[in-house]
Amino acid sequence: MSFLTDNREGIQHLLMGNEAIARGALEAGVNVASGYPGTPSSEIIETLARVSGERNLYVEWSTNEKVALEVAAAASFAKLRSLCAMKQVGMNVASDFLLHLALCGTRGGMVVVTCDDPGALSSSNEGESRHFARMFEIPLLEPGDFQEAKNMAKWAFELSEEIRNVVIVRSVTRVSHASGNVKLGRLSQTQRHAEFKYDDDALETYEGPAESTPVGHKHTLQQEKIKKVAEIFEESPFNTYHGPEKPELLIITSSVCNLYTKEAINLLGVEERVGLLKLGTTWPLPPKLLKRYLSTTDKIMIVEEVLPFLEENIKILAAEQAKEIGAKTFYGKNDGSIPSVGELNPDLVVLALSKILSTGYMAMPSEYKKRFQDSSFVVVPDRGRTFCPGCPHRASFWSIHNALQMDNRKGFVCGDIGCYAMGRLSCGFNTTKTLHAMGSGTGLASGFGKLAKFGMDQPVLAVCGDSTFFHAVMPALVNAVHHNSNITLVVLDNSGTAMTGFQPHPGLTVNAMGEEAPAIDIAKVCEAMGAVVEIRDPFDLEGTRNTLNRLIEKEEGVKVFILRQGCALSPEKRHAKEYDMRIDEALCLGEDCGCNRLCTRIFQCPGLIWDREKNRAMIDEVLCVGCGVCSSICPAEAIKKEEVA
Amino acid sequence: MVETATDRKLEGTVKTGDRNQFRGQKGLQDLVLDANLCTGCGACIGLCPYFRSYRGKTVALFPCTLMTGRCFDFCPKVEVDLDNLSEKFFGRSYDGNPLGSYQTVMISRADEKVGSAAFQAGGTVSAIIYFALKKGYLDGAVLTDRDGLLPIPRFVTNPEDVFTCVSSKYSAAPTLSALNQGIRDGFTQIGVVATPCQVLSTALMRSNPLDDKAFVDPTGLIIGLFCTWALDFRPFEKFVSDRVDIKNITKVDIPPPPSDMMEIYLRGGQKIEIPLEEIRPLVLEGCSYCADMTAEFSDISVGVLEGQPDMNTLIIRTERGRKIVNEAQKEGYLVISDMPAKNLEHLQSAAGNKKRRAVIKAKQEGILSAKILEKITRRSHVISD
Ligand SMILES: Cc1cc2nc3c(=O)[nH]c(=O)nc-3n(C[C@H](O)[C@H](O)[C@H](O)COP(=O)(O)OP(=O)(O)OC[C@H]3O[C@@H](n4cnc5c(N)ncnc54)[C@H](O)[C@@H]3O)c2cc1C
Ligand code: SF4
Ligand code: SF4
Ligand code: SF4
Ligand code: SF4
Repeated sequence: MSFLTDNREGIQHLLMGNEAIARGALEAGVNVASGYPGTPSSEIIETLARVSGERNLYVEWSTNEKVALEVAAAASFAKLRSLCAMKQVGMNVASDFLLHLALCGTRGGMVVVTCDDPGALSSSNEGESRHFARMFEIPLLEPGDFQEAKNMAKWAFELSEEIRNVVIVRSVTRVSHASGNVKLGRLSQTQRHAEFKYDDDALETYEGPAESTPVGHKHTLQQEKIKKVAEIFEESPFNTYHGPEKPELLIITSSVCNLYTKEAINLLGVEERVGLLKLGTTWPLPPKLLKRYLSTTDKIMIVEEVLPFLEENIKILAAEQAKEIGAKTFYGKNDGSIPSVGELNPDLVVLALSKILSTGYMAMPSEYKKRFQDSSFVVVPDRGRTFCPGCPHRASFWSIHNALQMDNRKGFVCGDIGCYAMGRLSCGFNTTKTLHAMGSGTGLASGFGKLAKFGMDQPVLAVCGDSTFFHAVMPALVNAVHHNSNITLVVLDNSGTAMTGFQPHPGLTVNAMGEEAPAIDIAKVCEAMGAVVEIRDPFDLEGTRNTLNRLIEKEEGVKVFILRQGCALSPEKRHAKEYDMRIDEALCLGEDCGCNRLCTRIFQCPGLIWDREKNRAMIDEVLCVGCGVCSSICPAEAIKKEEVA
Repeated sequence: MVETATDRKLEGTVKTGDRNQFRGQKGLQDLVLDANLCTGCGACIGLCPYFRSYRGKTVALFPCTLMTGRCFDFCPKVEVDLDNLSEKFFGRSYDGNPLGSYQTVMISRADEKVGSAAFQAGGTVSAIIYFALKKGYLDGAVLTDRDGLLPIPRFVTNPEDVFTCVSSKYSAAPTLSALNQGIRDGFTQIGVVATPCQVLSTALMRSNPLDDKAFVDPTGLIIGLFCTWALDFRPFEKFVSDRVDIKNITKVDIPPPPSDMMEIYLRGGQKIEIPLEEIRPLVLEGCSYCADMTAEFSDISVGVLEGQPDMNTLIIRTERGRKIVNEAQKEGYLVISDMPAKNLEHLQSAAGNKKRRAVIKAKQEGILSAKILEKITRRSHVISD
């Protein structure tokens, strides 16, 4: 029985952290869920979408995180329970509305789930969303394991309703994407009726208009709420302590670092010397609870990932109570015990711990590390990151690169967020030269495109995917058109949010719940904005290059070039080879002057391999998906394609 | 791997100390393209996927790692062992004569069998190629058409197509990419109409620098065009399009001195004149180092004739050149007569002046090796400084 519909209390299921969060929301009786895809958060919305019919939910992939938060807030204003999920960068996008929402307050329980990515395993930064809780004065919960992920998600709705404000549940990659046993609770049976009441007084936050003003009044209310939260957190079962009554060292931690720390204590066998205070409620910190534990010893270590969020907040509490609890020695980010960059792991915690406790434990002997690395090099081939075989981005970047080279004015491409962020690597022929936030490529281009006045004569291009186009490119494009910025935007339209797993977006005819939806036509949108629009299939390399050169040469205004070709992994394309490929060895020039391995040295589709013995190129039958593109780059017509019958 | 590095003497337009350069794409990039010496001849284009010509600019799309390659060996701007070439094609070492090695200098024009077309001058070039294609002396010809002002290389096999390519395009043309295409397609008697740098590059290719055992000269006739300079296409196009609608241009001409104008003929018979001093800033940097006005390594070379706009100057250099000219005359395709002594004098002094200017420039910039400098200075009859 699916964990989503299993209503037997106490039954265990092996759940991924994100599934546990979704299950928690179902147990809380969530009605509306919204989000924008982003690793490691996407499975939460996907999971809820699967039962949208059975559980009578409304689930959507919104255009961007700010809109997603607004959609969820609307449900809360109508006294429904709502959840909004995003990755850490999405919090920045949503934060504008979140600041206002926190001031205005919520009605039905409303939870924002943010999944951070310490170590930037699948992000272009390792930004932190915990600080938003303190900055916007709203509660922050951090699950330390999978069971907690479910339980906390459920309880967060209750807390939200109790204080009438939005609650943040913050997960990280290693919680969201790892799995563990989770005991189920019962699914909610409550039916809610949606109504937005606004007739009450403007100062009334429950049945009056939903506004952040008058600010003085609302801000005072909000601060009363957060004080109440601190009280509630004093008693929270999500804060736990293990260890002796008077430990030599007190470790305070949260989130996945709880698991790393437990393992480290165990590895060193210092259970008798070290106390472990694991916090699940990390903003506002419960002062009495902390005072109690800080009093037990004078050595405190704080274990957390990236920035010293806990550390700084604990230090403030310790300073305030210094008279009663005495002076403390803190170990953490500030003294360098714990790195401030990247993910943690048990080994890093062992290293810090053994130094403080002088256990003389060698975290990982360097000899062992070397042996391990050497042996892994033997079995694991040295492969850089690359686009999949048959990926339309490889073809697109090939043509963009060649167009810019031929144009010969040192033109460049502003990159954006998606698989095509790899345009800066050799698989994208090092074509993109900037990479920042969603939509920033077009925004930067809009700015670069106005610098002719100061002598800049380089052609300016931007790329974006179809999903990114809707997310944040549109305002930047409007800006560029309105200010007559001289740029060319290449939309890499692969018909889906490919990088995060093909979630639908507004350009498609289906929504998150699988229902038919009106598609928004990117070309028409751009035309309506006033841009010159061209559309091509990027698999036609020379045609694409030609059109692009022509567009770049236009001296005025915004040109939009839509390159339309489905992702090689898209459900429609999988297992559907268009061509059988083979290499005519007699024609192949290999390393001779006249080719010098263009296909395997430069184009580098993984479907092409170099036969060292024969000195000829070969097709890897297993990897090649038969897109046929490589046959048009071969100078010797040695790569033959034959239509699959 | 192609490791058959030839040991061609490095004493052409190459900086001293460059002997150990990569003699492939990297060398070409460093010594020619980055040094802004490229005249866009097209010799390196179409040999492989790396070099392309786009709107007058030769660019490398991707890096090629080969240590030796045809792109480098065929480029007229990298290094030229003039002695070696002269030995090969004329049986004697290079002597610095302003007109190069030649048999005779005549004047000529197209005869009746050719018909009329918008020839640049007397139509000598078109007449000879037309005749040679028609009679099977050549199986194809490398010519230069245009699209607007942009020169377009053509490989022509149908004699009638010669007429679509008449008249001079004054910006640098990647004409030799069409030669590379013809060779790739298996033609063996190719006629080439080319400017001096293009002719030099063709001579390099014909000297088989990579010692390919299976090499056979794929050309049947090389017609050189006189040339004092060519223009950088992009600024030239901009210059002209600021003044006239490029679509309406029917012909561009630079009549011989004393006229000091570029004439642009427009549809409807209109003509505008642009003083050459306004045009000269658009001349390619690479042209200012070129010491060859008359395409010295051709079979025959053709230019305009002072005082007679419907006639050409015709230099016959080789046996195969002389043979085709004679045949064309005999069969009624070409009219030939003697060159007046005064014109020959003028021609020699013009060619000598170009050599001198190039040598001075090269000296200033330190581009030529000391050895070649000395050779040109010592042997050129005209240079006296
Ligand atoms: C860039 C350039 C500069 C020149 N400068 C001089 C000069 O200073 N003094 C002088 O006496 N003559 C010069 N000429 C030569 C002259 O303009 C005529 O081409 C020549 O006299 C032949 O005349 P025609 O009537 O026989 O030509 P046509 O019968 O009209 O034939 C012209 C031929 O020139 C070829 N051609 C045209 N443009 C180019 C190009 N850019 N590159 C290669 N081939 C081309 C065409 O393929 C065509 O076959 C120059 C030519 C060019 C292209
Ligand atoms: S591009 Fe063509 S000629 Fe070159 S190595 Fe590949 S198959 Fe051979
Ligand atoms: S056809 Fe060529 S480019 Fe396409 S997947 Fe196969 S090897 Fe790669
Ligand atoms: S001509 Fe030969 S050496 Fe030069 S770039 Fe091409 S393959 Fe490389
Ligand atoms: S001069 Fe000719 S061969 Fe040399 S780089 Fe330029 S186009 Fe290539």
